[in-house]
Order: sequence, then C-alpha cells, then structure tokens
Amino acid sequence: MMDLNNRQWVKHAVTHPFEGFEDMRWKKAGSIPYAIVIILLWFVASIFYNRLYGFQFYAEADKMFNIIPYIVQTIVLFLTWVIGNWAVCTLLDGEGTMKNIFVYSAYALIPYVASIYLDVFMSHFLIRDEYIFIEAVRYIGIGWSIVLVFSAIKSVHQYSFLKTLGAIVLTIAAMLIILFLLVLLLSLIQQVYVFVYSIYTEIAYRLKV
Amino acid sequence: MKRNLKKLLTAALAGMMTAVFSMNLMVSAEEHYDVYNYDRWNEAIPSQAGYLASRSVSGLDLGIGNFSGPSDIFRDAHDQFFIVDTGNNRIVVTNSDLTEVVMVMDEFYYEDGSVTTLKDPEGVYVSPESELVYIADYNNSRVLVCDYDGNVTLEITKPDSELFSQELTFLPQRVLADKAGNVYIVLGNITTGAAMFNSEGEFQGYYGANTVEQTSEVIANYFWKMISTDEMRSKTSRSVPTGITSFDLDDEGFIYTCTQSTSQKTDTIKKLNPAGKNLFSGLETAWGDFESIYDVNTSKNYQSMICDIEIADDGNINCLDLTSGRVFQYDKEGNLLFIFGSSSDQLGGFTEVAAIESIGSEVYVVDTRKNYVTVFEETDFGSIVHEATNLYNAGYYEEALDPWYEVLQYDGNYRRAFLGISAALLVEGDYEGSMKYAKLADSPYRYNRAFEGWRTEFLSAHLTEIVVIVVVLAAAGTVLYFYLKKRKKSAGKEA
Repeated sequence: MMDLNNRQWVKHAVTHPFEGFEDMRWKKAGSIPYAIVIILLWFVASIFYNRLYGFQFYAEADKMFNIIPYIVQTIVLFLTWVIGNWAVCTLLDGEGTMKNIFVYSAYALIPYVASIYLDVFMSHFLIRDEYIFIEAVRYIGIGWSIVLVFSAIKSVHQYSFLKTLGAIVLTIAAMLIILFLLVLLLSLIQQVYVFVYSIYTEIAYRLKV
Repeated sequence: MKRNLKKLLTAALAGMMTAVFSMNLMVSAEEHYDVYNYDRWNEAIPSQAGYLASRSVSGLDLGIGNFSGPSDIFRDAHDQFFIVDTGNNRIVVTNSDLTEVVMVMDEFYYEDGSVTTLKDPEGVYVSPESELVYIADYNNSRVLVCDYDGNVTLEITKPDSELFSQELTFLPQRVLADKAGNVYIVLGNITTGAAMFNSEGEFQGYYGANTVEQTSEVIANYFWKMISTDEMRSKTSRSVPTGITSFDLDDEGFIYTCTQSTSQKTDTIKKLNPAGKNLFSGLETAWGDFESIYDVNTSKNYQSMICDIEIADDGNINCLDLTSGRVFQYDKEGNLLFIFGSSSDQLGGFTEVAAIESIGSEVYVVDTRKNYVTVFEETDFGSIVHEATNLYNAGYYEEALDPWYEVLQYDGNYRRAFLGISAALLVEGDYEGSMKYAKLADSPYRYNRAFEGWRTEFLSAHLTEIVVIVVVLAAAGTVLYFYLKKRKKSAGKEA
C-alpha cells in the first residue's frame, strides 16, 4: 500500500487535504530537497508577482528594486514559522520534528505558490474588467493552502482540531516574538559596532598626536 | 507598407523639427534658477522653462512715482490693468502693455458731490458686464463700487446682521462680483468663507468656507470633548479652518479660491460651483511644491502657501506661492504644467509676491516689497504645451498628437505628452503604439484600454489559427495520455 515516489507523494499530499499528511507521516515520506525547491519557487513567485505582472494591473510601479523585502516576506517568514511552530509544539506535546514541520508546511504551500504563477500568467491576457478571474484563482489558492497547512500541523503533531487551532495562534505569536528579538538584536549589534568604531577612532587620534 | 511610410514620414518630420527648434532651445535655456517639474513619483526633475521673465515695471517706469506695497492687479474686459497701490492709496490703471498710465483713481465722488479717498486698499475687481469697479478699501472698512470715472454707486460696509459677528471689524481684502451682480468679499478676520452681498449691498451670508482638515489632532480633540465637562471644554482650543485668502472667477462663472496656510493641506485650492460645492475635492493634485523646504536658521519647515490664484483665458490655473515666490501653472483639470519664478533679487525673482494676473501668453506678478510688476512671457515650449493641453482637454486627442510629439522634442521627461500621445494613438486605432506610450507614461490605466483594443484585434485576426492550435494540442494531449497509460499498463504487466 502507498508505495509512492517523492513526486507522487507531493501530488497525494496536495490533493488529499484530510488524510494526505497522515499517510505521509505513516509512511515517513516527504523530502527536504523538494521542500527547499518549493520555498525557493515561492520566493521567485513573489518577485514575479511584483515585477512580471501584466502592466495593465500595476497599481503603482516603484522606482527601485530591492530584493531584501522579498526574501523577508517568503524565506525568512517561512523559517520563522517552522521554528516558531517547533518551539511552541515541543511544549504542547507535539510529535513533529523540525524536519517534518519544515517539509509538511512547505508541501502545504504548493497551491498558493501555484496560484501566484497562474495569476502572473493570466495577468498578461486579461484586462482590468476581468480581474475577478485573477482574484478567484488567488482566493482558491490561498484557501486551499490554509486548509493544507492546518491539516499538516494537525497530522505532524497528532493534535485534535481545537489544539491545532490553538497551536497555530500561539505559533503566530511566537513568530512575532522571534521577529521582534531579531530586530532588537540587529539594532544592538549596530550600537556595539558604533561603540567599537568610536573607540578605535579615539585611539587612532591619540596615537597620532 | 502604409504604416511604414507613415513612420518614415514621422521620423523625417521629427528630424526637421529638431533641426528647427534646436536654435530656440539654446536661447530659452537661460534662467537664473533651475527650472523643474514633477515626475510620476512626485520628485522634482529638470525641465524646460514654460515662461521667462522678460521685464519688470515699476511706478517710476510708468511716470507716476514709485508704487508702495502694491497688493493686487486685475485686468478688465478692455485689457487694461488695475494695479492696487496700497501704500499710496490709489488705483493705477495702465494700458494692456503696461507701458502707459491711462488714469489714476484716488478720488471718488458721491452723488451729492462730496469726495472720498481710499485708505490702504487691498483688492480690486472690474465687472465685465456692468463696467463697475469694486475696490476693497481695507482700512476704511468698506467696499467701494464705482464706475470708471470714480462716481460711487454703492458702498458696502459692515452688515447689520445676526450672521455677522458685530465685535469684528470689517476688513475687506479681496473682492469679486459675479454675473448677477452678487459681490463676494474676502475678509481678513473671517474663517467661514467669503461674505456674500447682493447687488443692492445687502448681506446674504457666507460662501465657500473651508472644511477642517481631519488630522489626528482634530480627531483626538473630538474624542476628548465628548468625555470632558463643559468647563474643561471651554478651555480647549476650537478646530477652525483657515479662511480663504484670494479668489478668481472663470468664464463659466465658477469661483476658484485659494487658502494660504502653513499647516492646512486640504482645500488649498477649490473650484466652487454656485451652490458652494468644491468640484476639485476629488482631485489628487497637491497644489504647490510637494516637499516642504527646511530652513536651518529658523529650524522650521516651509510648505507652499498659495496666496493668489488666477484663471487664464484658456482656463489654466495660475497659483502664486508666497513661500518660494514661484508660480505653479495647472491646466483646468488640475495637472501641473509649469513652475516658474523664484525668490531672489534678479529679474524673475521675488521678495514677497502678492498677486498674479495674465493676458494671453503673458503672466504678471506683483511683488509688494520690490514694488514692481514682473512680466513673464511664454516660451516656444510653453506655447506648444498649452496648445497640446488645450486640444487634449477639449477632447481633440488626434489633433493634439503633433503638438505632443513636439513637446517631447523639447522635454523627453514631460509625462503628459506620453499620456496625450497614447490617447491619440488609441483613438486612431494604433493599439501597439498606444500601449508603448502608455508604458512610457507609466499609466496602467491607459495601457489597459490600449491592450483591450489590441487583444480584440489580435483575437479576431487570428481566430482560425488559435482554434486550430487549441484543437491540435488537445488531440495530441489526449493521444499522448492514452498512449502513456497503455505503455504503463503493459510495463506493469511485464514487471
């Protein structure tokens, strides 16, 4: 039963929102390289969405391109989700390992990432009046992914419905804390750097005089 | 073939134009300040000058002694200029070239023969219908209405009305009369709009009050007032809009007001219909400069303060900025056309601007400290932009096409030209060209319309090919699908 290869597992997980991830867990399936590829595709999609969209749909074309926000909005966000979820669920008797959380969450994002590519493709053929089609695709993608993420978290930790809901809320809170600490750390490092640099200049002046 | 020929012709024409206009370009590039305009991102970029200062006229030039703090200028229906010479308590009337004085109005006669004079007049208006001169006589607290010979027909003073707070002094600064003879007066100490009088001089009420800008402070105050006691409430400051500073009337009877304020950002320029409704309320135009200037000496931000507004014959709106001494010219839809003038000592620079007026291709700016009137003349670039804009705004997109191409010869950054060309090509049915220029203008809205046309054209031209391709692909896909399935099955059997 269920002797699928990696590619078939992807298909199985995405098309079986209720038992797909349970099956994966049971068969210990799921591949990290596939998950990484999915996240990278998401990152590329977010750039496509902002850069290669049909010109008639541009709300406002910005003057500069900066890649950092795109990295933060996809890769960093995802990693924070994984770490936050692992940290929360370890305390809440979750059975998932970091690896499994990473892989399952990435698989769950496939419909959303696919909908972005489809949107970008469609935006080159449609006009503004037909924007509803693009919106429909996006909402279907987002909705599908939300269901899958929920199902992934539920099966990876073997939670009940309500516990999954609570875990997700706590995960989001944990993500906010992690991001806050990151920002704090960055600004502290900067202050330390400024401090060291001013000591260096002070010494350099004194040596000269 | 035909399109190629057209392209070739256009290219040749464009080449010729460049050759012809390159000479003018060199001449018109000399101005003592950096001429700029705003791009799509509201950032200042260098641009061609639309107007150049050609000369300045003082009272001495006119042979009537120097002006003293002139504060208003008005052009009547006979193209004569009425200059309000505030400090000298007189109205100077000159000819249309501003070279000769036609008359000086300093004495006015009542019906019984007695004589009256002005005291610090601030504004003047001449009605084209009734040929009456309206003078805002500031320190005499009245508006004088007289004919060209100075015979007073009406005198408007502080109204004896409940609507008008009797504690306030009547301080008229600007005056206007509409076609029906109603008189509108901007009062220095009234924030509820212009006082409106009928042709008999009876007070009617106020017109065109500004609204209070909904800043966070105002909303916070509103909240605190709801929960505070009456005693506390009486101690807080009230949120009062800034009173209007000046106004002008266009040919269709709309009144344009401007408000000079250091803080207010809404309602700085309004176009009012007879009911007092602001027709410009939906515009996104930021009147004046986008960014405020930071002054290190006073450590204050100075934002544009529009102190006078004037509607030109072709409907363009000239706004005078007190802060920077610049004139901002907009078309009737509120699109920025040109910025000219500066605060400096040279010709074309100002110390404290007071009023603006225009006639044909010339713009006149009164400087109340320098005591003279500066004359700006339209450049070739200015006239071609005006031609194109007027045609475009009137709906003649195709006729505006060639002027727009010419505009681009002068200034390749002029965004309105790309928009205009895109619109014209769309009307002509050249969807690809329209798409190209819409992209250059960075206008998704225009691009969308051109793209729609292009797509319809493309689909109807290639319908057969598309259908054939779709059918072939579908057939090939089905065949391949069954073939693969069959092979898989047989492979499974073998295994």
